[in-house]
Amino acid sequence: MSLVDELSALAEETLSSISGASTSVELEAIRVAVLGKSGSLTGYLRSMGQVPKEERAEVGKTVNATRVKVESALEEAKARISAAELASSIDAAAVDVTLPGRAQQIGTRHLINGMVDEIAQVFLGLGYSVIEGPEVETDYYNFEALNAPPDHPSRSMQDTFYVLDRSGDASAVKGESDVLLRTQTSGAQVHAMEDRELPIYVIAPGKVYRRDVADPSHLPQFHQVEGLVVDKGITFGDLKGTLDFVCKQLFGPDRRTRFRAHYFPFTEPSAEVDVSCGICHGEGCRMCKGTGWLEILGCGMVDPNVLSMSGIDPEVYSGFAFGMGVERIACLKYDVPDLRMLLEGDMRFLRQF
Amino acid sequence: MKLSLKWVNDYVNVPDDLGAFCDRLDLTGTGVEGVEKLGDALDGVVVGHVLTCEDHPDSDHMHVVSVDVGADEPVQVVCGAPNIAAGIKVPVACVGAVLPGDFKIKKSKLRGVVSCGMCCSRRELGQGTDHEGIWVLPDDAPTGAPFSEYLGEGDTVLDLEITPNRPDCLSVTGLAREVGAMYQSAVSCPLQDDMDKLAALTAGNDVADSVRLEIADPDRCQRYTARVIEGVKVGPSPDWLAERVTAAGARSINNVVDVTNYIMFLYGQPLHAFDYDTLVGDDGMVDVIVRPARDGEEFTTLDGTDRVLTSDMTVIATPKEAVALAGVMGGLTSEVEDHTTTILLESATFSRAHTSRTSRNLGLISEASMRYERGVDDVPIADISAAAAALMAEVSGGTVRPGIVDLYPVRSERASLRFRQGRFNAMMGADIPSDFIVDVLERIGCEVGRTSDDDVLSVVAPTFRPDLEREIDLYEEVVRLWGMDRIEPTLPASPQRVGLREAREVVRDLVNGTLRASGMNETMTYSFAEPGDVEAARMDALGLGEAVRLINPLNADQSVMRQTMLPGLLRSVSYNQHHGTKNIQLYEIGTVFSGAEGRKKPKERAKVAGVLAGAMREDAWNAKQSPFDFFDGKGVVENLARELALPKVRFKELSADEAPHLQPGRAAEVLSGGTVLGWVGEVHPLVAAAFDAEAPVVAFELDMGALEKAHRPARDYVDVPTFPAISIDQAFVVDNDVTAERMSQVMTSAGGKLLESVALFDVYRDDERVGAGKKSMAFKLTYRAADRTLTSDEVDAAHERLVKKVAGATGAEVRS
Repeated sequence: MSLVDELSALAEETLSSISGASTSVELEAIRVAVLGKSGSLTGYLRSMGQVPKEERAEVGKTVNATRVKVESALEEAKARISAAELASSIDAAAVDVTLPGRAQQIGTRHLINGMVDEIAQVFLGLGYSVIEGPEVETDYYNFEALNAPPDHPSRSMQDTFYVLDRSGDASAVKGESDVLLRTQTSGAQVHAMEDRELPIYVIAPGKVYRRDVADPSHLPQFHQVEGLVVDKGITFGDLKGTLDFVCKQLFGPDRRTRFRAHYFPFTEPSAEVDVSCGICHGEGCRMCKGTGWLEILGCGMVDPNVLSMSGIDPEVYSGFAFGMGVERIACLKYDVPDLRMLLEGDMRFLRQF
Repeated sequence: MKLSLKWVNDYVNVPDDLGAFCDRLDLTGTGVEGVEKLGDALDGVVVGHVLTCEDHPDSDHMHVVSVDVGADEPVQVVCGAPNIAAGIKVPVACVGAVLPGDFKIKKSKLRGVVSCGMCCSRRELGQGTDHEGIWVLPDDAPTGAPFSEYLGEGDTVLDLEITPNRPDCLSVTGLAREVGAMYQSAVSCPLQDDMDKLAALTAGNDVADSVRLEIADPDRCQRYTARVIEGVKVGPSPDWLAERVTAAGARSINNVVDVTNYIMFLYGQPLHAFDYDTLVGDDGMVDVIVRPARDGEEFTTLDGTDRVLTSDMTVIATPKEAVALAGVMGGLTSEVEDHTTTILLESATFSRAHTSRTSRNLGLISEASMRYERGVDDVPIADISAAAAALMAEVSGGTVRPGIVDLYPVRSERASLRFRQGRFNAMMGADIPSDFIVDVLERIGCEVGRTSDDDVLSVVAPTFRPDLEREIDLYEEVVRLWGMDRIEPTLPASPQRVGLREAREVVRDLVNGTLRASGMNETMTYSFAEPGDVEAARMDALGLGEAVRLINPLNADQSVMRQTMLPGLLRSVSYNQHHGTKNIQLYEIGTVFSGAEGRKKPKERAKVAGVLAGAMREDAWNAKQSPFDFFDGKGVVENLARELALPKVRFKELSADEAPHLQPGRAAEVLSGGTVLGWVGEVHPLVAAAFDAEAPVVAFELDMGALEKAHRPARDYVDVPTFPAISIDQAFVVDNDVTAERMSQVMTSAGGKLLESVALFDVYRDDERVGAGKKSMAFKLTYRAADRTLTSDEVDAAHERLVKKVAGATGAEVRS
């Protein structure tokens, strides 16, 4: 058998084992056996010196050709095998994509504060700043500076929590005090007029307190957002337009508002504002007690006495003020059946929002 | 205020469309809180015609009657009333009817005779006090008609919310005027006709001959009048009178009292009827003195309650004793009773402020006090008294003594105002015509005149509208009656407004966002606390100040304001644990309060506090959860420190004495530089137990004000490294009391410029391998130069120095 024949037999055998290889390990073994340091083909190359001169060119050519052939077969096989291996490893790695993901728990915002944020966002867009005031107020800021002097009948409209006055002052009425838990955020109006430059465009969200026993529809502590505008040329139409805009932002563009004349000591004219019922769209249903309307806020033009008391000339400036109950709005939006849930801290409730 | 539409319709036309009428009332400022079709409570009661009446076979006072109630067959009823007779018409409650007092009518047997219903007295139907016999109806009453229909002729009673500024609307005539203004329709007033009846009923000696008046303090009583009606026979009111006072929400008592109530409901003037004879003094005269009560003076009001008065209250008195609490309620000793024959009729007005305080101080609100504290018009008092006296004489068979005693120290002036129509329309953003303005002001009782300036009206307000004191008060009247809905909505035109967020809000938002990103859920708890909360939380030594006490708490559990957020949050932990939720991550931003002797207003501080119990979540299919411990709380605080860019944040161990509320050894004070921000730690197991919460509970409380102060709004930029770093892991064995903070401090100062960072990655204790009382701490030390690639020689030299210094400073041994 000539060398050339031997080489071609080697090539044939190698190529066939390459095509039979199914893993990269097998393939590597073949490569080492044929092309490695002591590989069979390498042996021929090494022994080229013993090949007679006249055959050397022919044999050399054949050896090289065989090597190229084997190498390219290996290359091809490698590509084939690694593709197959990748495919199978991908197959093996497949998961049930409906299994839950892995994530850090994100906490939640309390419904009421989320509502306050939403309201504040609307007013920020209208050019209002957000202020806050103390929760324990003196009678002056909660009532008197809001045009409700002592013995004003409007005071009995609100059940006030009185705080023990540690200054030693006594109240004219037994069981009352000059210091109290604010019954309304309206006191923030007075602070704003005393402390801020004109014009004033502010809202004051905050906690307020009234002596109502907690039940599904009452809480002794709840939240209001007070608003105050004092500027030149402010009209009742501006008040209407502003609150109408805000209600549409909060409840949806298809909702309407209506203004019912009312009485508050610190505004005149005063009104209560209803928004059309979102369930029946004004037809009347259980939600709105058949009226088609839901009461959501009180408002009015700032009473000139209130402006004067804060040193603002009511002949030059006018303004409007409003107050809305946040729990009320939240309940209308989310249909919370029992207000007490807002204060229980039940994770199953809190994690819903 | 209850308004009978039938009654008010006598003076103004009430529209037929009830819904539209109620809407219009609502929109113009008189809230409709309820609509009651009168007689709804009398379902099943019909007008019956007694066909036959026979004696009961087994009773000497009962009768067996057969009554036609409009059904196919007459019904048999057993009746015990003495005035039952064949041929009369009576109200019959049929089987199934439910009478006032939840009295159900059933088929029954009375001494063996079947009775299928009941013939009713006035009292049984809630229509008066008469219980002498059954209510005999006129012969023309339609047999079989539902009794409510017969009685009320479909009367509807509205329950109206009258705002405190509108005392004039606390009367039927006042509301008639309001309705007239709402619809610009004609209104009549019965007062003159009622007064005119007096002349024919007058007889006897002049009142002034036997009654003397004195007002001790005109500030408390602007006007006091008295008339005397004699020869009265106290008894049931005539039907029409009983009907009216019942419709207005009062109980029919007797003809005298009903007249006072009727006149009050009609004109808004509270009246009081005294039994004249109880007032007569030894000289045969009646002396009526309006005077301040004496402090501690005892007085029994009509309702039988003994009360102790103060000098701020006003009484009506004889020289002997107080006989009425001015403006609020009469006294028991001078009450009109069945045998009363002579009445002294008071018609007066009392100070609003004194009445309001008296009413609040005694917790006694009456129809009179409600009107007096809002303001009763002093001008028509004598006229109304005349109308009342005439009516009282008429319905009780008495006569009125001529004249009136009338002390009138302070006369209300009518307010003269101007109305600048241009300014009004500018302020409303409307264009309301002058004709409308004038017309509507006149309809509410103002006199309106023109001035030399076409724009300006001169307006004189009526005394029955004490709320019309200023020009703006008139604006409100016009705009509400014009209709607020007719005003075009606009937005303020000012170019000067900008919405700004203050630092406080920015910090609050950052805190909220960071806590939520840390997995915490925001909650809200009561601002109220139990007086023992601070003690139960073992925080009495923390200098939280004095608790702010409520004078009128809802209950003892909520009688002070919270001084710390922890108790409220622990209660929520307990609530969750008891409702099957074990994994709890709650936080709250809220206010805490502290008072001090001599200080009027307490200090308020905003705090952020959180509690963690259980784990962040349940074990998942691909992730195990470790239970919360100190480091989860600390991690949350570290996140806050990062997000707020707080400088030089440190956690300093708190001893058991410094923080008794926390578990010793798992408690730290949080500082930024020298400022204390708050604390973090595991709540002491005894504290958790005191609030019925299962330990461990990790908690923190930080001061929002301190966070806001320490917060740096902008951070410094540091170059991102361009040359490679070399990291060396190095373990040290140190005594147990050497803190991680101490080690980092020593390494940072020993590492020189090349040491970029120190990170602790392992803490290991083992008595044998590490040694008792010792621990091994392993750090990754990263060395880097900003301007070149470090050589290993440089790093080795620096590291060797560091190890030597750490060993020297802390006694650490290198662990290999």
